[in-house]
Amino acid sequence: MESEEGSVGPLREALMVCAAAGMSGTLRVTGDPGGAIHLTDGRVAAIETPGAPGPEVLLLRSHRVTEAGWDDAFAAAATSGGRMRAELVRRAMVGSGELEGLLRTALADAMFVLASGTVEEYRAEPGPVECALPLEPGAEPDGLLAEASRRIRVLAALPGRNDRGRLRVVAMPVPPGVRLGEGQDEILALADGRRSPRDLAFALGRGVYATMLLLVRMQQAGLLVPVSARAFAAAARTPGRTGSGGEPQDVGGLPQRQRDLPAPSRRLRAPGRLPERLMPLGLLRPRTGRDVSPGETS
Amino acid sequence: MMTEGKLLAEMQDLRDRITGITGTAVASRDGLIISEDTGGVNADNLAALTSAALSLAQRLAREAGQGTLREAITRSSGGYVAIYAIGTTAVLVLLGDEGLDITRLHRESRSVVDTIEKLLA
Repeated sequence: MESEEGSVGPLREALMVCAAAGMSGTLRVTGDPGGAIHLTDGRVAAIETPGAPGPEVLLLRSHRVTEAGWDDAFAAAATSGGRMRAELVRRAMVGSGELEGLLRTALADAMFVLASGTVEEYRAEPGPVECALPLEPGAEPDGLLAEASRRIRVLAALPGRNDRGRLRVVAMPVPPGVRLGEGQDEILALADGRRSPRDLAFALGRGVYATMLLLVRMQQAGLLVPVSARAFAAAARTPGRTGSGGEPQDVGGLPQRQRDLPAPSRRLRAPGRLPERLMPLGLLRPRTGRDVSPGETS
Repeated sequence: MMTEGKLLAEMQDLRDRITGITGTAVASRDGLIISEDTGGVNADNLAALTSAALSLAQRLAREAGQGTLREAITRSSGGYVAIYAIGTTAVLVLLGDEGLDITRLHRESRSVVDTIEKLLA
């Protein structure tokens, strides 16, 4: 057990006890990111963790299901006492097989994230399981743990940094003639030096592991460069970088090619709005009109 | 480090420490921005709305006879906005995505508010 990757060992220990007892209830895992593993008859029905997007985020952020449709299905399931899963399928918002696949993918991703993090303690709480989209019947803990181990090994074998889970990246200009692969344009639009792989996964409605693999490939292709979040934030606030046309000042620690990058985000920031300087305390910036950027005439 | 640098460092540290926080801002109670790390959200509008929302939430808590307001949380389909009073003169606003670690936020918010209050004193 000692040789197991990441936190697979303690998770296996806890899950095996629950599985042997055929427990239904929740295994609470304290740590970073920690989370709650919901079990039915000793099998994993759902995992909630701040570290990985759950089925709702995967369905909504990827636009496979509309928000209005989700809300309607949720309300109908709540009032009829029915199941959210049946409601989504009945309304033809998602196919039964597709949903099953998505739930399994979400479980594998969440277990990978828990296993990649730290486990300080765990506590089994037998009782009814409350979650919107449980996998029925649940997944075997053994299979999920084996897959989490495999993913950790795959990432460890890739060249590059070993703190990949916390690595922030910044988009580089796309070289002429380079065709972007699936999902790469969305990553480039969001890679602003602030977001970790987990943050990007949530923003895009994709799995954390899939996002990390994509980030590695894009770094290898020179489309992204790693950046210290702190250095980038400091650079964004360096006096002289707040207006257009000014020479950027020293942005210490950043790769040379990055100095000419304008505002961190390409899509999410309002056009023309650049990071503003931090005002000294007591020298408060006068409030601008609603939705009026500095320099714009109202 | 100057106070504003320490304040910004504290806000960035908070974003690093609590999973799911996407942005932070500190504003005065009259709705003017003091320091921001919002990642693209309009900080001026956020400061103005936050100040008003905090006042409303505090009145609501008083009216309902539920004691001192601890936090005002707005949960939307795409995430959270959490608002905290910093003493009587300022307000802290945190933006988070759907996966915001609410448990950790509750555990750490008091000490974060105290730290920022000392920095602003």
